[in-house]
Amino acid sequence: MQIAGNPESQLFAMGAEVPDASALYHAAEKVRDAGYTRWDVYSPFPIHGMDHAMGLKKSWLSALVFIGGLVGLTIAALLQFYPSSIEYPLIVAGKPTNFFTVPAFFPIMFELTILLSAFTATFGMLALNGLPRWNHPLFNWNLFKKVSNDGFFLAIEATDPKFDEEATRAMLESLGAEHITLVYGD
Amino acid sequence: MSDHGTKISSKEFFDYQGFGGKLLFTVALAVLSLGLAAWGGFLSGKQFAFSWLFAFTFFFTIMAGSLFWILVHHAVDADWSVVVRRQLENIAWLFPVLAILFLPIIFNAPTLFKWMKIEPGVDPLLDGKAAYLNEPFFWARAAFYFLFFSIAAFLLRRNSVRQDKDGDARYTWSSRKMVFPMLPLFALSLTFGAFDWLMGLDFHWFSTMWGVYIFAGSALSSMCVLVLLVTALRSAGYLEGVVSIEHYHIMGKLMLAFTVFWAYIGFSQYMLIWYANIPEETVWFLRRNTGSWNTLNIILVVGHFFVPFVILLFQATKKKPLLLCAVAAWILLMHILDLYIIVLPTYHKAGASPHWLDLVCLLAIGATLAAIFMKRLGDAPLWPVKDPRLANSLKLRN
Repeated sequence: MQIAGNPESQLFAMGAEVPDASALYHAAEKVRDAGYTRWDVYSPFPIHGMDHAMGLKKSWLSALVFIGGLVGLTIAALLQFYPSSIEYPLIVAGKPTNFFTVPAFFPIMFELTILLSAFTATFGMLALNGLPRWNHPLFNWNLFKKVSNDGFFLAIEATDPKFDEEATRAMLESLGAEHITLVYGD
Repeated sequence: MSDHGTKISSKEFFDYQGFGGKLLFTVALAVLSLGLAAWGGFLSGKQFAFSWLFAFTFFFTIMAGSLFWILVHHAVDADWSVVVRRQLENIAWLFPVLAILFLPIIFNAPTLFKWMKIEPGVDPLLDGKAAYLNEPFFWARAAFYFLFFSIAAFLLRRNSVRQDKDGDARYTWSSRKMVFPMLPLFALSLTFGAFDWLMGLDFHWFSTMWGVYIFAGSALSSMCVLVLLVTALRSAGYLEGVVSIEHYHIMGKLMLAFTVFWAYIGFSQYMLIWYANIPEETVWFLRRNTGSWNTLNIILVVGHFFVPFVILLFQATKKKPLLLCAVAAWILLMHILDLYIIVLPTYHKAGASPHWLDLVCLLAIGATLAAIFMKRLGDAPLWPVKDPRLANSLKLRN
């Protein structure tokens, strides 16, 4: 088995290359069925249906976005109702200062809801992906540079409870994966 | 992921065995309610005229919306909607029938549209609009709308049904070429139809957003009808293995999108008029925001937007056909209320006073269209069985 990175440091994962997107898709299905939980696939482009092949559950992002939207709506409502209806009620163009002035406040409430939802979606997505980060252990593996061009990889992390150098290697070989490599953290 | 030739065991054609009773009941209901409506017309001509216009526009918007979804399907070369397209085509192909149901409006036009009874020189505002609001042009426009909608629905359905025989991609191309000129004509027909028949109820009033507002309700309510129709067919044992939860998910997403769009357009129209506070513009909302009309309007805002919006926001709703059907039925109810608030205040100026004719007219038009729809349902397969994109649609995944 090949080795990438410094073998003195902690083992990060066992990586392997497969020939194409279809092979990666079917390999992912088999790894999923083998019961691994901490692993990932890497490809130059998004592969349709990969989340299903990997057995990923629905992301929590939508819940975060919902909360983000609610926060935006609340901020906009408070920032407008508190000064204009409670602290310093001012009649503008004959409009009421009670709750029924709400049409005038809707555009801001709408925009802030959208803004905070979009912020939560963008930054929440980055956070859930563990980004930004300075480096990734897989970059220690020279072959892995192909991933932004024509390489299709999967890596089973050493922290996976089912990870076992012999068994995992045998499984990867049975998938037809090549260049099986132990990738170390440093 | 390139497996073609997906086998479908479900029946392609609608089977009328044991369906005669339902068909007969619908026909009887149509005849009975048409008779009742005619009788109501003799009792109270004015109430009948407004009730009929209200019921007519409800079904008009649903059918225009169905045609819209077919046009969009071909224009963007969509995959997912192939399996549900036939039902949209069946609905849109009812346009010639709707043209016949327009007759009572022709006979009651001067009751509904006051501008028809006003001589030139009496109302300066009307004189300014005379180039558009005159009877010959009004009827020519109405004829054009129905002609266009009927021909568009006919041509697209004919291509689709012919493709069922040989699966030639030529028909897909032909439909796609047709829809590009049809799209602007559709937008113009729906917009000016909404201007003529709904905004024209008060010829002093105007809103440039009116056409988009009616369109938003059309696209939304026709999607709701599609969800209900597809579910009805599925529960009767059809479309098995054809329409999946993933298709429901997409239809639910479109329902959510157009719920938001309806609210966005409705609010934009309201806020501009409310804020500018110009009497000739506020007159429309002033009457509808007074007394019992105001109560109905608040119910509309909450029921047409907030309730479905919050429920449809969750993915789980869109993936449960029965729950989605409940939401769809609720939105249709709200769409009825929407058109009720648009049409009836012109007659019941002081406040809402529901009349049995409102319901009877809805039943009369609805049952007539439903009976003809059922009668024709077996004419063609329930989905485009040989569409080149059928395989893609069948294995749809969101």
